[in-house]
Amino acid sequence: MLQPKKTKYRRPQKGRMKSITKRGSEISFGSFGIKTLEEHWITGRQIEAARQAITRYMKREGQLWIRIFPDKPVTKKPAEVRMGKGKGAPEYFVARVSPGRILFEADGVPFEVAKEALRLGAQKLPVATRFIVRRDYSEEI
Amino acid sequence: MKSVSISGSPRENVGKRDAKQQRYNGLVPCVLYGGENQYQFVVEKGQLKDLIYTPEVKYAIVNIDGKEIPATLQATQYHAITDELLHVDFLEIIEGKPITIGIPIRITGTSPGVLRGGKLVKKVRKLKIKGELQNIPEFISVDISGLDIDNTIKVNELHIDNITFVENPNAVVAAVLSTRNVENTAEEKA
Repeated sequence: MLQPKKTKYRRPQKGRMKSITKRGSEISFGSFGIKTLEEHWITGRQIEAARQAITRYMKREGQLWIRIFPDKPVTKKPAEVRMGKGKGAPEYFVARVSPGRILFEADGVPFEVAKEALRLGAQKLPVATRFIVRRDYSEEI
Repeated sequence: MKSVSISGSPRENVGKRDAKQQRYNGLVPCVLYGGENQYQFVVEKGQLKDLIYTPEVKYAIVNIDGKEIPATLQATQYHAITDELLHVDFLEIIEGKPITIGIPIRITGTSPGVLRGGKLVKKVRKLKIKGELQNIPEFISVDISGLDIDNTIKVNELHIDNITFVENPNAVVAAVLSTRNVENTAEEKA
């Protein structure tokens, strides 16, 4: 599961997201990708689940790039604990994604395979996504 | 190198309010620079299809007010969510002056390494080259007929007349990598 090796602050504040993505909206490595249409926190577990679904369908052929990284710790208080007495312990990490952000990219497999693989991967994510293809893509070698 | 004719009409007003209105009317704001004058104009979206959404690299012949100017595609901007074309930058081609442009590579020949079970990997899709317009090829042919397993073709091994490669000379263009099948066969033989 993806998570940072170390964090500067263990218990950050929530923050707010309120704009479309400022970067990472173009396909940079592969020929196919999925782009989020919503803003959300995506957990490391969800990213891992999507990655597994995609690679399994692609039968370990081709290449996959994960374009997001869960770098934000999220804290949680233990069950049945009264409020107060300080902030809870870090529980998991999330990636903040804004609309337009490319989540996964794939290459080295035919169009139909990539489309289905990324569709299966997108089902593991809490956001609506769109399948996109590199602008100068052609069915080449 | 192929060309695409584009006819644009000059923009009367500039600024984001006007650009937004133009986009609403199905036009794309463009700018052309690099020559004596700079031109702000708009083009119909459909005209740019052959230039942008294609695997081939082409240059544009921009017609503004009856004046034909050859230009290369310098930059494009898209909407982050809808991928709608927002703006295009053109760079004027001046006769006698070399241009720098990314040209797609095309693999030719059959590699003995691939026949033995190796995996052909194309490391780059395009290579940046510099030269005069008439010398720019449509694609860069990369011959892999001499490529065995674990061999690579680097930029410095390619040669095109009157063209210089802008890329790092040691950058790998194509390689044949060893696979599990190859390793297993080698072990069995041993």
